[in-house]
Formats: sequence, structure tokens, C-alpha cells
Amino acid sequence: MARKRKISLSEEELVRALRNREKVAAEALYDMYSASLFGVISRIVTDAAEAEDVLQETFVKIWNSFASYSPDKGRLFTWMVNIARNLAIDKIRSRDFKNQSKNQDLENTVNSIDEQRNTAYKPELLGIKELVETLKPEQKSILDLVYFKGYTHVEAADELGIPLGTIKTRLRMAIIQLRKYFN
Amino acid sequence: MEDIKAYIESGILELYVLGDVTQEEKLQVEAMAAKHPAVKAELEEIERAMEQYADENAIGPSGELRARVLNSLVTNLADDRNFSRIVDPQANNIIPIRRADRSAFFKYAFAACFVLLIVSVVALINAYHKLNDSNALIASLQNQTQRYSNTVSLKDSEIGVLRDPTFKMLRMKGTTKSPASALTVAWSPVKKKVWIDMATADMPANDKAHQYQLWAMVGGKPVSLGVFNADTASKDMVEMEPTPSADAFAVTLEPRGGSPTPTMDEMMVIGKF
Repeated sequence: MARKRKISLSEEELVRALRNREKVAAEALYDMYSASLFGVISRIVTDAAEAEDVLQETFVKIWNSFASYSPDKGRLFTWMVNIARNLAIDKIRSRDFKNQSKNQDLENTVNSIDEQRNTAYKPELLGIKELVETLKPEQKSILDLVYFKGYTHVEAADELGIPLGTIKTRLRMAIIQLRKYFN
Repeated sequence: MEDIKAYIESGILELYVLGDVTQEEKLQVEAMAAKHPAVKAELEEIERAMEQYADENAIGPSGELRARVLNSLVTNLADDRNFSRIVDPQANNIIPIRRADRSAFFKYAFAACFVLLIVSVVALINAYHKLNDSNALIASLQNQTQRYSNTVSLKDSEIGVLRDPTFKMLRMKGTTKSPASALTVAWSPVKKKVWIDMATADMPANDKAHQYQLWAMVGGKPVSLGVFNADTASKDMVEMEPTPSADAFAVTLEPRGGSPTPTMDEMMVIGKF
């Protein structure tokens, strides 16, 4: 996590500053998390302009409802990424009503997104290939389906034709692999 | 402790971090985390892993989005003490100045119009008075001109009478009733015109109830030639009615307007050719 940022605060400082509604908090929040959140949003909402709208809505919602965040219940990013994912899903659900035929499947979407965008991976993240190899394909597809695509594990079980218990196990194993990899 | 381990391994904590739990499960996980440090530690591990995974998959949004998002936070900010500089001070200053300018402009424009109006009204009244004066002057001049013209034309006639050789001058003398009276009559048998000369008249002034009447004796019969007044102010010659022939002229004092036949008792002057 040695990414260079314009403004970076520790999570405790950031939370305190956000509570005080300081300007620097808004800037730090954006600089620290916009790319991660945008990565999640972009894999759900494929249209770049729409994805940016969702990112904006996400920050507005984070800022306005920050009082409802409690550090006791989890990390800031977990809370924020759920907001981002839910707004992104709301966006495609309202849009998918109009053009369901344009739905793509998950792997294709994730891959095509990565191809479409100049996802400028940082040099220190060259290990991404290693990371991909760390996760087995069936682990990665389930993890991405739930984490990036906003599927519930029940929907993912349906989509992939796999029993619920297996889904849960694979999710856990995938995350354990990630934990090992990042540690 | 076995229960905790089983709980952790059930996969519910992963689903919790992925936001894929019901409200009930959510509260349960939070209660467990509060109660058991091991659960909390496991949750934290999962959260960190997912956060880093998201970071690995991060996509930088376009550069201009940063300002857009931060501005939208500014507008959503209830307590904006840190953002007061966002308010454009120029805009704040310009508007009132413009308003002042504009209202001042209209104020001065109105004042100028009002002054112009007053000046115009005064000038108009002056012009009106001058016009009236001029009109009165013109009228009096015309009147005077008319009088001069009348006088000139009368004098012309008088001179014409004197210069015309066909005119015969006859000085009528007073009768016994008024021996002092006299009146000159000029008669042109050719032009049939008759004039009397008031400048050389010597007649007592008549009152308002009476007028003098001039008669011509034609073949022994009196013919009226009109009436006239005598007073000291009159100096002109007066043209009377024409007669082609006359043996004598006489003047009688008659009731105002004249009589069809002369009142012989009131004969003032008489003259014969």
C-alpha cells in the first residue's frame, strides 16, 4: 500500500476530519479511495460517464450520511464500498430495464473493462499476475461476481449452477488466499 | 471456542464484508464481533484483504472528476465555513454596484427630464405671451393702417373733388332762422356726385334726436340727398347721395333719420346757382 496520493491521512484521522466536515477530509477521502471505488463501480456500470456519475453520487452519499458510519462495526472502506456497489446496482437495474439485451456475462465484462480503460496499474502492483495465479479461476469468478458485480451468493449459485454451500466455501477460500497473498 | 471457530468458518463473516447478509444476520455478526475479539480480528482481516483487492483492481477516474465531486460535496455541505471562499467575491461585489449604477442612472435621467420639462414649459409660456403681444401689435398696426388707408383714400377723394373742374362749389348761407350758419357744397353735374365740406361748415351741433338733411331743388321740388351730423370735431368732406341736376341746395334740421319732405320752418342754410 505504498500508493502515492495527493492527500493521505490515517483512517482514524480521516474519520475524525470527516465528522468535523473539514474540507481536507473531503479531499483526502477522494484522493485515497476514488480509484478503488471507481474500480468496483466501473465493473458494474460499464458506461464511463455513468460510472463517474455513480462515483459522484457515492461521495455525496458518504459525505451526507457519514454520521451513520461507526468504526466499531467495521472499516471505513467496507462501509463505503457497499454504498458504491448499491448505487451502481441501482443504476444498472434502472437502465437494464430498458436494454436487457445488452447484458454481458461477468468475466467478459471484467476483462473488457480492463481492456477498455487505461487501468494504469502502478509498478509496485506488478504482482497482480501472481495474484491472479493465486486465486483459482472458480474462486475468482465467484469473488468477482459478488464483490464486483453485486450478486448475492444465492444469485451467484444460480448463475454458476453451484450449490450454496460450495459458493460460501469458495468465497471463504478465495478471501483466505487473498489474505495470504497480501500478508 | 469451538463454536466461535465454526462461526468463523461458516463463511458468514465474508458475506458480511461483501454486504451480502440480511439485516438480521448483520446485527448478529456485529453482536458476535463485539463479544468475541477473535471474530472481530477475523472480520478485520477479511476487510483488509478485500480493501487491498479493490485497490489492486482500482481504476483512476478522469482528472476533472475530482473537482466536480468535491464541488458537489461543497454544495451539499451544511456547514460551509471552510468553503466560504468558493463564493465568488467578484460576483458578490458587482451585483450591488451595478444596481446602484443603474438606479443612479435612472435617477439622474429622471431629474434631467424633469428639468427639461420645466424649462420647456417656461419657454412655452414666454413664447405664448410674446405671440399674444405680437398678435395685439399686428392687430393695432392693421387697424392703424386701415385708418390711414381710409384717411388717405378720403383725402384722395377730397383732393379729387378740388382738382376736378366739373365740380361746382356753392356756399350756402344762413336763413333768417340761423343767420350765422353756412355750409359749402360741391356738386358735379357730369359725375352727379355731391360732397359737403365739414371743415368749412358753420353749423350748430345737432342733438341726438335730430340730424341735418341735405336737399337738392330739382325743378322746384326738394329731393333728399341724405342726412349728416354736425359737430366741431368733424373736419372731413362727406359724400352725399348723387343727383344729376339741381337748381339749389338747402339743409333742414329734421328728426333723426331724415324726413320724406323738408320741414321748411327748420331750414338752416340755402344756396342757389
